[in-house]
Amino acid sequence: MESRVLKPMLAVYVVAFILFLYGPFFVLGILSFQEGPDGGPQFPITEWSTYWYRQIFGLTPPSRIAPLPVGEALIRSLILAFMTMVTSTVLGVMSAQAFRRKFRGSGFVFYLIVLGMMVPGVLTGLGTSLLANNVFDITRHWYTTAFATHVAYTFPFAFLVMLAILNRFDGSVEEAAWSLGVSPWKTFRKVTFPLIFPGVLSAMLFAFTLSFDEFPRSLFAAGGSEDQTLPLAIYGTFSVEIHPNIFAFGVLTTLFSFALLSVYGILMGLSVRRARKLAMQEEIA
Amino acid sequence: MSDATVTAKRQGPSWLILPGIVWMALFMVVPIAMICYVSFWTQTTFNISSTPTLASWKQFFASDTYTGALWTTVRIWLIVLATTFIIGYPTALFVGLFVKSKTLSTVLLVICVIPFWTSFLIRVLAWRPMLGKEGAINIILQKLHIISQPIEVLLFTELSVIIGMSQIYCVFMVGPIAFMLGRIDRNIIEAARDLGAGFGRIFWKIIFPLSLPGVVVGAIFVSVMVLGEFATSGALSGRKVNLLGNIIVTQVGSLKWAMASVTGVILTVVMGMVIAAFLRIVDLKREL
Repeated sequence: MESRVLKPMLAVYVVAFILFLYGPFFVLGILSFQEGPDGGPQFPITEWSTYWYRQIFGLTPPSRIAPLPVGEALIRSLILAFMTMVTSTVLGVMSAQAFRRKFRGSGFVFYLIVLGMMVPGVLTGLGTSLLANNVFDITRHWYTTAFATHVAYTFPFAFLVMLAILNRFDGSVEEAAWSLGVSPWKTFRKVTFPLIFPGVLSAMLFAFTLSFDEFPRSLFAAGGSEDQTLPLAIYGTFSVEIHPNIFAFGVLTTLFSFALLSVYGILMGLSVRRARKLAMQEEIA
Repeated sequence: MSDATVTAKRQGPSWLILPGIVWMALFMVVPIAMICYVSFWTQTTFNISSTPTLASWKQFFASDTYTGALWTTVRIWLIVLATTFIIGYPTALFVGLFVKSKTLSTVLLVICVIPFWTSFLIRVLAWRPMLGKEGAINIILQKLHIISQPIEVLLFTELSVIIGMSQIYCVFMVGPIAFMLGRIDRNIIEAARDLGAGFGRIFWKIIFPLSLPGVVVGAIFVSVMVLGEFATSGALSGRKVNLLGNIIVTQVGSLKWAMASVTGVILTVVMGMVIAAFLRIVDLKREL
């Protein structure tokens, strides 16, 4: 390969690519320190300040610009993401466990589940709200209809993660437990589950972040009601004038995501270390 | 315990699949069937009734707004597919093939994924101060004396929608392509070089064909997301660019459920055709 010319060129290109990915964030970060409440969402920065950050936490005197309605929306989104995470991980583990045996129609079921991550949220959201309005005659809420569509979206991701984990899983440890007369449920709890736990963590992370940020499904399936989720609250500010408070909020949510990611990394590291310790003990024994 | 019972237990009982099937049927298949059904309902000013009619379908194809949205969707989808591929492929080539160290390629991929932990809507919104008349790009270009007047076509045009979508979705191209490139047996490339093939020839005869499944997977990801879009086009075009998704949102907003459903069915059909076409190019089950 003409590494001497091509490789440096590609390296420079990749740097440009990363700048393209991150450029808007830098601008967003800078503008979040715009002076408030009169500074606009564009350059130049009239004066550096943390006004918009303080406004989010309600530390500024009331002004003509209303603070973002994020407090309750954030709590709703966290609860919804948590519910979605638990449900789709349980469904994902169950389905992937069933897929360890070839059953009739397994190909069809596989595509049925995987389709859930392909169908655009606009469609499932619209369909669900049509059903809620015209067939069941129920009010759409984030914790009912939106929750159902969120799981139909995140469950396929959890399923695929668990499928990949269980494909590499050595079943002989389970057989050992069964031949010693341990019940299947206890075997799953004491043997299988601890071994697949890293996969479960990844599935949970996927489901949580996807649901937390999910917007089109919520817009239709929870729309119309007063109790908005966080993405809906952000979308609400789109139609009216934009202020730097939304930028400050973007910086904060990014930091929050990093915190979440770090927790995941720590848990993952701990469980890997524990597995290694166990393996070492086994070797000694 | 006999071997047969052990094997039966090992694979787990198959009723475990039932909750998953029921959930997907109830909250994905039935809703989409409902969209198809409602697209034939009768629309009155604020309500719909289940009397079957073709009125909404006729209205869709008779109106320039709606058919225009269909063509805009197809056009933007094709352009964004091309831009994400052109922008993403060199990056994937570097990450998947040229970087020797496993750690470095993982680090590069993680760098690409990090922006996804920021809210999608805020990522879209971040382009506004970037592209605006007094935005970062215009200021930088003016400071460098490349332009004297700010470029106004950057924001609230079709171009801004394309720029925004390209940035948001190009990583979905990079990932699968880099993955396929990483699996190429380096010995094949060595052998070709020993036989005197130049890089261009090696690329077109070996590297590109072997990366094609990754391109298709990336293209499916990008297509599915771009076709169902409405937030980026709404926020960055100032409602000038209307995709099928935007039509659905505005129709629902004005309680025109039947028209929203017709648009939904058309979107489903377009999506199905696109995915089927991609799966025809490459047999994924065989490749993966």
